[in-house]
Amino acid sequence: MPKLTIDGKSIEVAKGTTVLEAAAKLGVYIPRYCYHPSLSISGNCRMCLVEVEKAPKLLTACSTEAAEGMVVRTDSEKVKAARRDVLEYLLINHPLDCPICDQAGECGLQDYYMEYSLKKSRFAAADKVTRQKRRALGPHLVLDNERCILCTRCVRFCSEVTKTSELEVMERADHSFIDLKEGKALDNDYSMNIADLCPVGAWTSRDFRFKQRVWFLKKTPTVCLGCATGCLAEAQHNENVIYRVMPRPNAETNTWLCDRGRLAYKAVTAGDRLAKGFIKNGLIDLEPALREAATRIDEAKGAVAVLGSPWLSIEDNAALAALAIEAVKTENFCFDFPAEQGIKDGILINKDAAPNTAGVKLVKAARGGISLEELSRRLLAGQIKVVITEARAAGFIKEALKAAAPRLITFATNRGEIPQGAYATLPYASYFETPGTFVNYQGLKRRTEPAVTPPEGVKPLWGLVNKLAAYSGDSLHLNSSEDALKGVKL
Amino acid sequence: MIEFFEANKDILLFTLAAGLKVLVFMGGIMGFAALLTLAERKVSALMQDRVGPNRASVFGFAFNGLFHPIADAIKMIMKEDFVPGRAEKLLFTLAPFFALVPVLALFAVIPFGDYVMVFGYQLDLQIADLPLGLFLVLALSGMAIYGVFLAGWASKNNFALLGAMRGAAQMVSYEVVLGLTLVGLLMIYGSANLQDMVRAQGRLLFGAVPAWGVVLQPFAFILFLIAAIAENKRTPFDLVEGESEIIGYFMEYSSMRFAAFMFAEFVEIILVSMLAATLFFGGWQVPYLYETGFIFPGGSALPLDHYLVSALQVGSFSVKTVFFSWFLLVVRWTLPRFRFDQLMGLCWKALLPLALLNILLTGAALVALGKL
Amino acid sequence: MISVKKVNNRPLNFLERIYLWEIGRGLLVTSRHFFVNLFNPKKIVTVSYPEQRLPLPGAAGQRTRHRLKVRADGSPKCVACFMCQTACPAYCIRIEAAEYPDNTVEKYPAVFDIDLSRCVMCGMCVEACPEDAISMDTGEIPGGAGDRGELLMTRGDLLRNLPGEPSVKGAANRLANEYLEGKE
Repeated sequence: MPKLTIDGKSIEVAKGTTVLEAAAKLGVYIPRYCYHPSLSISGNCRMCLVEVEKAPKLLTACSTEAAEGMVVRTDSEKVKAARRDVLEYLLINHPLDCPICDQAGECGLQDYYMEYSLKKSRFAAADKVTRQKRRALGPHLVLDNERCILCTRCVRFCSEVTKTSELEVMERADHSFIDLKEGKALDNDYSMNIADLCPVGAWTSRDFRFKQRVWFLKKTPTVCLGCATGCLAEAQHNENVIYRVMPRPNAETNTWLCDRGRLAYKAVTAGDRLAKGFIKNGLIDLEPALREAATRIDEAKGAVAVLGSPWLSIEDNAALAALAIEAVKTENFCFDFPAEQGIKDGILINKDAAPNTAGVKLVKAARGGISLEELSRRLLAGQIKVVITEARAAGFIKEALKAAAPRLITFATNRGEIPQGAYATLPYASYFETPGTFVNYQGLKRRTEPAVTPPEGVKPLWGLVNKLAAYSGDSLHLNSSEDALKGVKL
Repeated sequence: MIEFFEANKDILLFTLAAGLKVLVFMGGIMGFAALLTLAERKVSALMQDRVGPNRASVFGFAFNGLFHPIADAIKMIMKEDFVPGRAEKLLFTLAPFFALVPVLALFAVIPFGDYVMVFGYQLDLQIADLPLGLFLVLALSGMAIYGVFLAGWASKNNFALLGAMRGAAQMVSYEVVLGLTLVGLLMIYGSANLQDMVRAQGRLLFGAVPAWGVVLQPFAFILFLIAAIAENKRTPFDLVEGESEIIGYFMEYSSMRFAAFMFAEFVEIILVSMLAATLFFGGWQVPYLYETGFIFPGGSALPLDHYLVSALQVGSFSVKTVFFSWFLLVVRWTLPRFRFDQLMGLCWKALLPLALLNILLTGAALVALGKL
Repeated sequence: MISVKKVNNRPLNFLERIYLWEIGRGLLVTSRHFFVNLFNPKKIVTVSYPEQRLPLPGAAGQRTRHRLKVRADGSPKCVACFMCQTACPAYCIRIEAAEYPDNTVEKYPAVFDIDLSRCVMCGMCVEACPEDAISMDTGEIPGGAGDRGELLMTRGDLLRNLPGEPSVKGAANRLANEYLEGKE
């Protein structure tokens, strides 16, 4: 356990800890470009130079292991001068096209220049070495070599995290630049993380490109609902429009976010987003659609089945359970979805594509219900005339639905989700628009916060259930998502 | 039928003539009052080195603002006619009439010319030749107080009521002075008939100076002018209305009711101008012009046609009226407003004693000259 | 020491105390203005705006209606960097960026709206612009309009150079001009 002193404060750290990490524990921030906590140490950017007593030269804090009795200074004149000079060096050939650069506002060069340099360049603008400007690399990214500072975070990410090794530093010295390896394409499932990783504007996301300036964006914590992994994420939005989703790195689940999860937000504003009810093949206002659905449920009293959904939050599943038990008063309800869970690709993507399989189990534990097979059996036996469920969950009993052909009433956010043969579809607010609780494959509770407001007239699912019950004559008194949770132990 | 016409020829002709005169004279006054609303703004603008209203146009012709009175009238008619919920509806409606009608009725006794022969019929250029015309003037102008007070009372608004009380006090006070200043004239001319008073001013003093009221009663003229402006509620005595600054008695009025009050003010300007011209500046008299033409003091004469003489006389009266109207506008845009205590002080402590003194001096002079 | 200024409040003489003389003098002053202006209206200071306009002082700090400058080839100098929109205290600028397929300066404004009904003419957008692409030197003073739509300046309304001025300043502009030079 080496004990060292940084800027006069001493700390004891585990063996193998670097000076940079030790300093972070003390709350001393050391600027860095190439260092990333989840990647291997490269030590090429020289931004983290610190002064260590008895060392003849400045040392890179990111690659220097803490040693017993080390005395480190990060605020000496020598260190400040080194940071200034490193920045001047990094900026010699930088095109300074911040006005057209998406990174502006969250750019390491901008931030550190303002913080540590504020020096005028001694090199004429005309002497700058120009390189290839933007070009699209892969389906999600754009690379601008001129802005690159060759920190190689992207190269390391591809070789260490995704292990696909598409990228490489080509040529040497002043001629070096990042490029694709021969015969490779930058199309791995995690490529958009490179745009986050890049401390400058060299890598930018094609999806986010030029859409919005980052300083306008507000951040709302949310959860990626792409699979059962339940990565913590952050919706960045402005004026009620989500522009991008970024990972919220955490020790338990994720540092990164897969491309599919990142782009899942697009369904919120997609062209097929449902803002009205859908009866058979025609759009209809929500109220008449609700009334129609309620009439059908009333007609089939006693022969109604309610199926929960692992794509819905615990609150909404609980509301569906309340609908089945207290309003429709049926025993045909199922909150049991068997699914194999576990990381599929060794990084983040889960074998279970539904985000809340574990959460639905809590509802089942509280409210009971039959199994999926039993539901299918009853369907095939003709005991069920109306099935109420979420659109994607209908896939679990696809065969039985096809054979028995009951009236299918579904809840959906987008038109594309509506299963074939659905009789009525009711639009509900997505989990970017309403809070919801999910339980991931590790059994960790994850909660989404609403980043934007739903389209006009669209309500959260528990609200729809409440209205549906009211039209059927039995009020459930659901006035908030918490009301629905009554009796369910989280 | 014909017998009836024959039998009542005189009275029918008189009625016809009177109707004609009312139409022409009143029409002229109304038109002039409308023009005065424009003149007020134009005169003030020119006095202040501005242009004044010049935007209202018909088919692109603005004529330097000539259409503004029409535009104003349209605007006033189009505006919402608002009656406060708790107002006395009847009195609230009546008040503008009390303000406007007595003033208009007054013009009946004002002679705007001598007479003109039409088809051998003598047409007096005066609507009503009343023996006590001057008293009618005083009596009817007293009626205008009802307009002010009813407006303030019927509005059921404390501030309107306060304005009305100030206004009534002011008008009652200055009416006294107004009446007393004219006593001197009555003493000199010995008649309350305005036509007689104008004819009397056709004489010459010392064979050269016209015997106009202003020459005989210069002091009374100044007092009359001050009292008349105050009675008219115009600056510097306009604290009753104080259009933009003080709260006046017609603060609850809008649309055409409000317009009636404002219009009455402009008609009063004409009335004061005409009275000043009639009583103190020889009315329709032109110096040295007699029925047959000019006869100058030197003895030389310029015979003129009867119609030309009549036209000159009517023209003379019009010019005098226009001049005094202009003068009242200039006064308004020159002098600052009085305070209420100053206003009452001026009336009771200065004008009233001076008016009484004027009567005394006139009487003394008449006795001394043996005219009594 | 408090300095004391003595005001000479001399008592009014008789003529002044009866006011009439002074009133007459006042009337003379106003009447003189009236008649002078009636027959010789040269001294009237009113300007019949908007038909008649005084020449603007033309000082450097003068801010009139905005314009977006264009490069020599007619493309907008604006690169849609959003600095003006960020700086705008009145939130009157709305930009939507788009990408040129092959130009060196890859970004341009697909939409650039200035809502003059919100604009406070502060000139912050001009200060903020890194490309010298927006300026307030058209000499036009935004006036009233019949409806709000007339006060919404779109990119088309804003894009123009003053006569004889294809400007070449600005970093990204330099690249664009070099690129254009290579093309010609």
